[in-house]
Amino acid sequence: MMKMKSKILMSAAAVSIAVTGTVSAEVTDATVSVKAMADALHLVMDSDRSVYTKKIVNRLVKKEKVIKASEHFEDDKALVLPAQMFRFGSELAMKRAEKLDDVNFSYTLQSLWPVNKQNAPKTEAEKAGLKYVAENKGKNYYTTEKLGGTNYFTAIYADTGVAPVCVSCHNKHPDTPKKDFKIGDVMGGVVIRIPVDG
Amino acid sequence: MSISADVLVADEAKDNVAYVAPDSASLKFGRIIWLNNCEGCHGYGIADAPVPMQPRDWMSRVTKERAQLYSHAIDGFISEDYTEMPARGGNSELSDEQVKAAVDYMLFLANFYIKQQDYIN
Repeated sequence: MMKMKSKILMSAAAVSIAVTGTVSAEVTDATVSVKAMADALHLVMDSDRSVYTKKIVNRLVKKEKVIKASEHFEDDKALVLPAQMFRFGSELAMKRAEKLDDVNFSYTLQSLWPVNKQNAPKTEAEKAGLKYVAENKGKNYYTTEKLGGTNYFTAIYADTGVAPVCVSCHNKHPDTPKKDFKIGDVMGGVVIRIPVDG
Repeated sequence: MSISADVLVADEAKDNVAYVAPDSASLKFGRIIWLNNCEGCHGYGIADAPVPMQPRDWMSRVTKERAQLYSHAIDGFISEDYTEMPARGGNSELSDEQVKAAVDYMLFLANFYIKQQDYIN
């Protein structure tokens, strides 16, 4: 059973994670940058969500037309929306991480134009990052911030409206603050936060 | 070709030297439609949209019948791996001619980068 212990170190030159563990006798002191870790986490999250969108939602809803996907999936006996699947995964990961001493990070889906106000940015870094990824298509935002006495590396990745139903649902939702989204517009962002030693 | 005045202004924020400007009037028109309606996904590979500046994304597509590409862009398309191309790029106000013009520009752009790669190789 592999057991790894991570210690995250931050310096002026680079932010890196020193990983030590018992993987094998040869591998005792590997290092990966915290940016690379955040990018890898996002790649996995985005790929899983994309697979759910394509292989489950697009296949069953749009191609085979055997079931619907709905925000009110329980009442409608429908599939959860891809964004809901992402949020549920985030909530479960955070719950599981609480029980793991060596795993300490968070990720959330936020927006400058949230349908649910709970998903609005709260920190200055989140606000700046969401604005940056919306105005600089194709680029990510990386920064550090200190919250409650702890230093964090914070990465923000654009979340783009890619299906007509995503865009139309947001535009028509009674609680939406923005009603002119188009396909391809950045509608929000994924915020990944990893604690680092400052 | 019917040209609606409200689509003749390119979104300057989205413009980019990588989106090569063509000489012909019809392709210039297609470029504006593309910038305003297609670039948001195809410019970056969002949701696995094929990027015309990436030859490997378009090698197999540029040889397809243009009628098929038009049909996929106008009517929408779910690919074999269930990637979705939304009908008219999600803008139901676009006419068939406008969508075809955008497809023509994307093919022009894809062919430009494929030829450039061939030249380098």
